[in-house]
Amino acid sequence: MRERRVSGAGRDEELDREIAFHIDEMTRANVAGGMSPEEARRQAQLEFGGREQVKQEMREVHTSQAMESARFNLRAALRFLRRSPSFSAAVILILAIGIGADSAVFSAMDAVVLQPLDYPHANRLVALYQHDSKHQNGNTFVAPVRLEDWNRLSSTFTAISGYYTDDMSETSGSLPERVKLALVAPRFLQVLEVAPMLGRDFTAREEHFGGPEAVLISYAFWQSHFHGDPNAIGQKLHVGSFSFSIVGVMPESFAFPDGDVELWTPSPPDAPYAQDRNETWFQAIGRMKPGITIGQAQADLALVQQRLGRQFPDPDADLTVKSEPLKETVIGAIQGSLWMLYGSVTLLLLIACSNIAALLLARTADREHEISIRFSLGGSRRAIVIHLLSEVLALTLAGSLLGLGIAAAAAHEFHLLAKTLPRAQEISLNWRIVAYSLACAVATALACGLIPALRGTRRPLAHSLAQSSRTQASARSRLQWLLVGVQVMLAVTLLTGAGLLLRSLQNLDRVSPGFDASHVLTFQITGSWSETSDMAALQRRIDTTLDALRAIPGVEHAATATFLPGVPAKYQVQFSVDGEQDPNRKILADLRVVSQGYFQTMQIPLLTGRTCRAGSPTSDMVVNRSFAALYFGDSPEVGHVLTQITDTPGPIEGRVVGVAGNDREEGMNTLPVPTIYLCLSAGGPFSYYLVRTHGAPLTMADAIRRRIHQLEPNRSVYGISTLQEHLSDASFNGRLRTILLSLFAVSAVVLACLGLYGTLSYLGRMRQREVGVRLALGAPRGQILRGFLLQGIRVACVGCVAGLLLSLFADQLLKGMLYGVSTVDPSTYLGVLGLILLVAAASSLLPAWRAARTEPTQILRQE
Amino acid sequence: MPPTDKADLLQGTLDMLILKVVSMGPVHGYAISLRIRQISREVLHVQQGSLYPALHRLEKRGWLTAEWGESENGRQAKFYQLSAKGRRQLTAEEASWNRLSEAVALILQTAEQQA
Repeated sequence: MRERRVSGAGRDEELDREIAFHIDEMTRANVAGGMSPEEARRQAQLEFGGREQVKQEMREVHTSQAMESARFNLRAALRFLRRSPSFSAAVILILAIGIGADSAVFSAMDAVVLQPLDYPHANRLVALYQHDSKHQNGNTFVAPVRLEDWNRLSSTFTAISGYYTDDMSETSGSLPERVKLALVAPRFLQVLEVAPMLGRDFTAREEHFGGPEAVLISYAFWQSHFHGDPNAIGQKLHVGSFSFSIVGVMPESFAFPDGDVELWTPSPPDAPYAQDRNETWFQAIGRMKPGITIGQAQADLALVQQRLGRQFPDPDADLTVKSEPLKETVIGAIQGSLWMLYGSVTLLLLIACSNIAALLLARTADREHEISIRFSLGGSRRAIVIHLLSEVLALTLAGSLLGLGIAAAAAHEFHLLAKTLPRAQEISLNWRIVAYSLACAVATALACGLIPALRGTRRPLAHSLAQSSRTQASARSRLQWLLVGVQVMLAVTLLTGAGLLLRSLQNLDRVSPGFDASHVLTFQITGSWSETSDMAALQRRIDTTLDALRAIPGVEHAATATFLPGVPAKYQVQFSVDGEQDPNRKILADLRVVSQGYFQTMQIPLLTGRTCRAGSPTSDMVVNRSFAALYFGDSPEVGHVLTQITDTPGPIEGRVVGVAGNDREEGMNTLPVPTIYLCLSAGGPFSYYLVRTHGAPLTMADAIRRRIHQLEPNRSVYGISTLQEHLSDASFNGRLRTILLSLFAVSAVVLACLGLYGTLSYLGRMRQREVGVRLALGAPRGQILRGFLLQGIRVACVGCVAGLLLSLFADQLLKGMLYGVSTVDPSTYLGVLGLILLVAAASSLLPAWRAARTEPTQILRQE
Repeated sequence: MPPTDKADLLQGTLDMLILKVVSMGPVHGYAISLRIRQISREVLHVQQGSLYPALHRLEKRGWLTAEWGESENGRQAKFYQLSAKGRRQLTAEEASWNRLSEAVALILQTAEQQA
């Protein structure tokens, strides 16, 4: 039996067996020679000698040279850490914060931006859009028949499908409950390549019109409604006016199109109501065939659409196809913020590195003697550099382990942001993060250890045991000052970024939105897109609900709106005034559909005319001041007729009845744009209800819920929240990124100050003798103090200037995240400059003062 | 025979002796120590404390290969065998040893004649 490659424990056993055999053979020989067995064994053992010692020597044969020196270096490094606990603790702490913060942000970056979506071969998934080149109405949804055409005619996709979502009431229980339902085109799960965890996918019959009504339920729904009972398959669910059979349960991790969807049911493309090519329903998704690039897929679909354009000139000739990776649509705009945060937290780590490099530089100077002894004992420079580096590596490894704790805590915090951070649930502390953090440790060890180690082991320096080290000290302090300057520079860069973001927030908080968001409760009531087939009935239902709401004591006003004021949403439409169309002057306006009472509820002032009125025979419209000023000029505003310019049947048309004040409907960071309010309580089946209450809005929630239940027992109220909460949610990402960047910037400034303080203190110690002599010769203490202080401030100044120059470039990244302040805002830059110089002076003061307090007699006596 | 009479092995000679003994065929550690003693007519006693580390060192250098097998009396023992690399090494060491011992003998004889 061959035992070539054996582990440590196996090897030990083998050595034992080999020795035991030898002793046994000797015993046998002794017995053969006439000894008693006991005596024979005793003699054999005696003759063999120190068994453990032999084993140890054999073991040493097998331990490799590299292992041995690594173990030696590690032991030495640990000894070094123990010898200077406060220095080690400080370095480990700085690194733990630096590496921890970096790993935390990286974990978010990795999960949200870098990792593919959680589907098999997710890089082959794309989102598909149709664009109406003629009408530019921004609608990108796809008609069911066209979706089927794309799927049939394209050659680069394994399948194309689509979905839209509806909110419905599930009435199987005692109280109706709102459920979010995804209506999916055929091949939905085939595109995503996900199978139900339990049960099966839809059959072809279920995907056809008139087939059995089937539904897939989410894992969460299965748990909450069936307590995870497998017998749920086959049971009936009553949703809206439908009765579905449950055919399967989706896996827990499945959250498409989003985590709120609880039910999936087929939307048959062959239904009679789905045959109009002007219908736009589906958000289309597709799976490209292996090896197909997104460019090829796009080109293929463009050709398909051209063919359809010839076949169905109206409307397909005007349509173009766009595609983008599905991941882009899922993560959206958060990418920029994450990259910005990742960049800044990495700058912070760089600052920590240069900080520690400066500390180590001072330390290697203190160890000159030790290093030169090593050289004289025959140590090679390489061995000594490796030795010094392994000390630093021990520090950075300890720092990164602590840092992982920070990253783990952060991952937990990220999960709480699930509402505003896409894919937040996928952020976790996994081996990639651990590997990243360890890589950080090695990289920082090299970054902060290499320069001090190389410098400390320069031969001429190390060999000059007897020589006074003054000249080297000045060269080293130059390098140290350079490192301090770099720290100041990076800190200034982070601080200007944080300053600009803070100024933007401040500007936003000062903005008067033009409406009053306090005391407004918002909610939605379940409905269905199918209600839009009878708009009059929908209108009646919403008006009745509004009347009932207004009658509740404590409610001052109530209204509906398609979009919440102040929460970013845009619906831009082109209009003509009084039937005249000036080809050179497009009249573009934001369209908002609001009910009677909207302006009172939101307390938007009316400037001229009247606001929306119930039961008006014509469609009334209210425009805002911007619209009136831009498009009506000096003519009286009231009475103009506005008509939507569109080819689709039933363009929006109405008569202007009043002018309202400007307000920031599209978000706090967007200036009021020309806006048309169409007076219509039923903008859609899912309008937001806005209720102005007398007291605290949330205290009314219960009364409202009960009243609605009385009125419409089959509908449920959902999404109850205050308008202010919606507004703060809308600005949450901005706030979070500002807070985080400010935190990084403050840490950076603290580190830079520590660097300044440490370097100046070190210099003070180095020059103690010189200062003593100067004082003895009669130099005033003030002069000494000023000398040191100015040295610190001079470096800070240079760092500041470099930092501001760097900011000019770096802050370009913040474009689009700022409000009311330019990326090169002079007052922010000046403020940062002032602040840095102030803290630089403050942190230089103590070491300078200490240096100036040197007692000359004491120093001279030491000589 | 009192231990003081045992000849001390020159540094590096042990390795050569082991290689030589092993070159005669697969053999375990105990047998190597016996053979060295027997062939040298009880002049050379190899200490076990030197023998085993030396065997493992030679194995690690690739001059010997080792394999567990059954001993003459049916027990498991580790048998050592010379590798091709080891054979080359042995040849080289034997040549240099012969040169050295001839030189030493020459010096001793010449010095005797002159004295």
